[in-house]
Amino acid sequence: MNPALSVKGLTASIASKEILNGLDLEVPFGEVHAIMGPNGSGKSTLCHVLTGKEGYEVAGSALLDGVEILDLPVDERARLGLLQSFQYPTEVPGVRLRDFVYEAAVAHGVSPEEAEARIDKEAARFGVERFLDRSLNDDLSGGEKKRSEIFQMAVLRPKMALLDEIDSGLDIDAVRQVAEAVEEMRSPEMGTLMITHYSRILRYMTPDRIHVMIDGRIVDSGERELADELEAGGYESVRQRLGLTRPAVAAERRPSEFFTETPFDV
Amino acid sequence: MEAAFEVFSKLEEPTGAEEDWRYVEYNLPFSRLAPVGEPGSPVPPGPFVGAIEATSGKALIVDGTVVESSSDQLVVRRLVDIEPERLLNRVPVDHNKLAAAHAAFAHDGLFLDVPEGAVVENPFLIDLQGVTPGAASFPHISVRVGERAEASVIVVYRSAPGESLLMVPQIHLELGQGANLRFLSLQNLDHAATTVTHQRVVLGRDATARIGEVGLGGDFARLDLAVELEGDGSSAETVGLYFGEGTQTLDYRMVIRHAGKHTSSDVFLKGAVEDESQSVFTGLLRIEKDAVGTSTFETNRNLVLSEGAKANSVPNLEILCDDVVCGHGSSVGPPDEESLYYLQSRGLPLPTAERLLIKGFFQEVIDRLPIGGMEEPIADEVFRRFVAHQSEGQVA
Repeated sequence: MNPALSVKGLTASIASKEILNGLDLEVPFGEVHAIMGPNGSGKSTLCHVLTGKEGYEVAGSALLDGVEILDLPVDERARLGLLQSFQYPTEVPGVRLRDFVYEAAVAHGVSPEEAEARIDKEAARFGVERFLDRSLNDDLSGGEKKRSEIFQMAVLRPKMALLDEIDSGLDIDAVRQVAEAVEEMRSPEMGTLMITHYSRILRYMTPDRIHVMIDGRIVDSGERELADELEAGGYESVRQRLGLTRPAVAAERRPSEFFTETPFDV
Repeated sequence: MEAAFEVFSKLEEPTGAEEDWRYVEYNLPFSRLAPVGEPGSPVPPGPFVGAIEATSGKALIVDGTVVESSSDQLVVRRLVDIEPERLLNRVPVDHNKLAAAHAAFAHDGLFLDVPEGAVVENPFLIDLQGVTPGAASFPHISVRVGERAEASVIVVYRSAPGESLLMVPQIHLELGQGANLRFLSLQNLDHAATTVTHQRVVLGRDATARIGEVGLGGDFARLDLAVELEGDGSSAETVGLYFGEGTQTLDYRMVIRHAGKHTSSDVFLKGAVEDESQSVFTGLLRIEKDAVGTSTFETNRNLVLSEGAKANSVPNLEILCDDVVCGHGSSVGPPDEESLYYLQSRGLPLPTAERLLIKGFFQEVIDRLPIGGMEEPIADEVFRRFVAHQSEGQVA
């Protein structure tokens, strides 16, 4: 059986600045993995490059259930079963969430009746009825936006879910709710990759693997204890253990960066 | 009329260098056209007239002549029934050559009176047609809403397919104290027609006007709209949309003038241009010296869907009073890349994503139009234009 996602030797640069630097990663079906890394480590770039955002020079390989996706346009990757939940889902005035997810489901080959049935069921399950008939992401709280993203995922049933900073901008109750929703979504037909620079969401869920990303590569992988190490000693602890030197620019950052929430990430 | 003719004769035809014509090419088929006396044969109902079910009355105006008019709830008169001093002429004869032409050549008119205190639920429908090839027509419409009366009026502009003609309507809407008017104009002329409409809205104390302007037709179509908030506490909302295709020019000139105290206004206008069409919005918010407590806002958003298309958006403020809240927002550009990316990232092919985005863009306006029940035919007409354009592969 293929893994849901298999990434090998992935490099990406933008304006000849290398951001991903030979990244390897495998997420089997049924598993939830987390990638953690400091700001500027390339986490968001990884999301963009896998999803298919233009503007990057990309090499290497990314297989979605055995199919190479790096040469495909963004919508085709989605229809093959890749779904990225956005850190900042775009507000689209006048387009109702219900209509959008319906169109997306139909584009995925779901029958109109089945699409409607899934929308009703999942809207109730993830509590999005209140804004189902409102403009997409318009005037929603941070938690509601993330719930909307998970609801769309539940309707579209991707093979591989990429959750980009799904815990950012949320208060502690909302983080727990999102974590529970991600666990709730766990299925043998789907692999999940959470990308975060903040470990608190991991208190409410049990990822199968945790990967640490520094300078555009996965430098370490492990289980729960890796998150504990990060929570206690930050990325500096991992760097020291692995003998990684900090690049000059990174050395200027505050040691406590791991615990700061910054809205923008490279 | 004779005096008006004199003014008309004296006024120069625009050269195109005037401020009025700064953003559009002056090319009215003025000299080639002749006023028409006898109305031609009406065109069959189109997507809008056919969709309006319950009305409080109807009028058919063809080539400037009121051919039919009836209502069981409003008082309906024609020009011949009106004493000259009852005319609500708010457009100065010398406003421009076309306004003078209207004053000189309008030979008929429709006058609606909503009696004091009357509440008329269903809209009065005016089917405004130009049909005689090569003709200039000067339809005249006046609506007077009495004190505390409520009414709604729909005007649908149409013209004979493929015929080049000029229509110069004047529309006067006068609202008495505490009156409430909802007014929707659906300009769906054939693409060969030219129109310059002068529309004036005058509000008395505590009166409320909700105005909707949908502009789809015409080779050159201008709306010269002035909203006069004269009465204290009056408020006016103007909501509109336009969609240009081919070589159309859709031109909106609006002046919202706050004269009374504690008045409020909102202009919300959205448009799209494709192919080689162009649009113009010049909107002036003028707040007079004594208009304390004014609240006013103006928004104009434009989508440019082809390289050859152009949208001009020129919001202006003229504030002579300190105690006001006002603002304006204006934008011109292609469909938002971020939004398209987001929609595509859920599996929608680009053409589907674009269609959804365009639909959403206009839905915001359609939902705010003053008279309900027309949402679907309006959305369909707008959408049909975009889809036709898209299937020609002209969307980048």
